[in-house]
Amino acid sequence: MLSKSAARAFFLIGTIAFSGIFLWLTIDTIKRVPAQTKEENLTPQVVHGKRLWEQNNCMGCHTILGEGAYYAPELTKVYDRRGPAFIEAMLRDPEALFPGQRRMVQYDFTDEEIQALVAFLKWIGEMDLNGFPPEPSLLPVAVPQSTSGEVVAAIKRPKVYNQLCIACHSLGGQGGTVGPPLDGVGSRRDYDHLVKWLTNPQQMKPGTLMPKLPLSPADIAELASFLSQLKQGNRPAAEGNKG
Amino acid sequence: MKYQSQKIAYYFFAVAMLLFLLQIVYGFIMAFAHMGYDVLHPVIPFNAARASHNNLLVLWLLCGFMGAAYFIIPDEADRELVSIPLAVVQLVTLVLVAVAALVGFHANWWEGRKFLEIPRPLDYLVVVNVLLFIANIGLTLWRGRRHTTTSIVLFMGLFSAALLYLPGMIDTINQTMDSYWRWWVVHLWVEGVWELIMGALLAYLLIKLTGIDREVIEKWLYVIVGLTFLSGILGTGHHYYYIGTPRYWLWVGGIFSALEPLAFFGMAVYAVAMVRRSGRRHPNVLALFWTVGSAIMSFVGAGFLGFAHTLPQVNLYTHGTLVTAMHGHLAFWGAYAMIVLATISYCMPLLTGRKLYETGMATFAFWTSNIGMVSMTAAFAVAGVTQVYLERKVGMDFLAVQEEIQIHFLGLVLAAGLFTLGVLAFIYTFLQAGRPVGEVNPHATAELA
Repeated sequence: MLSKSAARAFFLIGTIAFSGIFLWLTIDTIKRVPAQTKEENLTPQVVHGKRLWEQNNCMGCHTILGEGAYYAPELTKVYDRRGPAFIEAMLRDPEALFPGQRRMVQYDFTDEEIQALVAFLKWIGEMDLNGFPPEPSLLPVAVPQSTSGEVVAAIKRPKVYNQLCIACHSLGGQGGTVGPPLDGVGSRRDYDHLVKWLTNPQQMKPGTLMPKLPLSPADIAELASFLSQLKQGNRPAAEGNKG
Repeated sequence: MKYQSQKIAYYFFAVAMLLFLLQIVYGFIMAFAHMGYDVLHPVIPFNAARASHNNLLVLWLLCGFMGAAYFIIPDEADRELVSIPLAVVQLVTLVLVAVAALVGFHANWWEGRKFLEIPRPLDYLVVVNVLLFIANIGLTLWRGRRHTTTSIVLFMGLFSAALLYLPGMIDTINQTMDSYWRWWVVHLWVEGVWELIMGALLAYLLIKLTGIDREVIEKWLYVIVGLTFLSGILGTGHHYYYIGTPRYWLWVGGIFSALEPLAFFGMAVYAVAMVRRSGRRHPNVLALFWTVGSAIMSFVGAGFLGFAHTLPQVNLYTHGTLVTAMHGHLAFWGAYAMIVLATISYCMPLLTGRKLYETGMATFAFWTSNIGMVSMTAAFAVAGVTQVYLERKVGMDFLAVQEEIQIHFLGLVLAAGLFTLGVLAFIYTFLQAGRPVGEVNPHATAELA
């Protein structure tokens, strides 16, 4: 039967041995992290962004690298997903972009601070994270590519659509639920109407929840053209997760 | 109770109870915010509630551990505590730091690093405070007439916990390394040295409550803490899967975290086996309930539910979702909250001389809080698994998913109501026992020791 001194030896030897291995792996990790996280892009602006991220406890609601609270969206790939224009608009006035939704603190950041946070999020998005976040594997099941008997048109979504519109509106079941779905919007609204609407929603329909988005005239033209082609029965080309 | 200085434990326990209540209040604020009722947002935004909830947990558990050490160390070392005034100063300053930190959180003054939100200047005060504590119990142990395994393991646990607070203060500009060191604190605390503390408290309580030979209990204590470190140290790797650290952590973390439940399983088997072997029926039945309950619930919460999402291929999807909250709640409750409550239940009759251990209220507190916490875990599980499927598998938008799972937070609030009722009953019993007054006659409480 095991004696007390043998039990103590098991504890001491095990602890020392595994602490040693852990320290060795830590040293190796410290050596490899700069390459894996592209530390060469870690500019003073990115570091400023990191400090702002900490000072305001952004992790208290959001997750980054999958770490934080689970109250607000995962931001690891937000630079890709939403683009800098959306992030800037969001940081300037969070409630304008998601009216009546779960609220974010209005931080009154300066332009310089906003740029620093955008740079930080861009740097985070470029790391090699061993496959995180995963691509949604059930997306093709949830959003069928085509349905028999329906006219399927492969209309390519503009990048700006995937970054901005999708945050609040859905198309073919993909996207946010803040605004109405955009399926078939081309049958209801023509190109000119959509251009005016996107240029200044408040002017066309005072009191609407739709914010004036940070869009260039070229963006507006591209979006209006895309949206006006979304006739009933037509389906846009399904894409990977951008939600 | 053999030594008058053990009485100081009571005040640590009392502060722990107060902080525990406050922690629950912040929990409700967050649960309501998840349900869509974020009316407090302008005053207490979610991140302030979250930082308060987590830090209050850590603080009240540390307060409980300190109280437990102030009770156990003199008893085990066979002498009075070296300094009561030092213990008082230490408690008062700890409360002051806690209040400053809490107020700071509401004024956007913090570090914004999960679980370690306490701002840097206050970190130094925490370190000084804990050093005072370590010195006080360390000297008591050093000058004691006995050096038992239980007391040494307890001291080593507390000492290492203090030491491991330091990596969290390493300043780095790389977010990945920031997380890397942060887990040195958080993981090596809860899945490492805190288990030494838990193991020592469990051993002490089992020695006292079952009357089984100290040598037998302490031998198995070594085996269990040995298993803990064997799996737990490299098990830190399960935090290094997807944060920008090398790919080999998927193997290291995966294999060693799969072994982590072993230590908790050992703990549960150990507690149950010792109680079954014991011929003695200790009158403080509730203390025994909490002790064995802690060993079993820590296996379910920390061991089993931890394993449920610790494999890299599962964690790829569950990382950063409410599944973590599911595991976290039952793990902390079972392993650490319950062992502190067990220690309090055991100590109170000895400290105050009032034998309130088998009242209906105390029994109600045990069952209601446990059923409440298991139900809360179930609510988090349903919300978490749904979130994983809709967000990570189907690719739905974050806020759209949150709307889908709002209803489960109603379930959470109801379960938390039940849990709170149980905790209130526990605190009622605590208050009913009153303060330790005058001299406690060791002979009057001899059958409880």
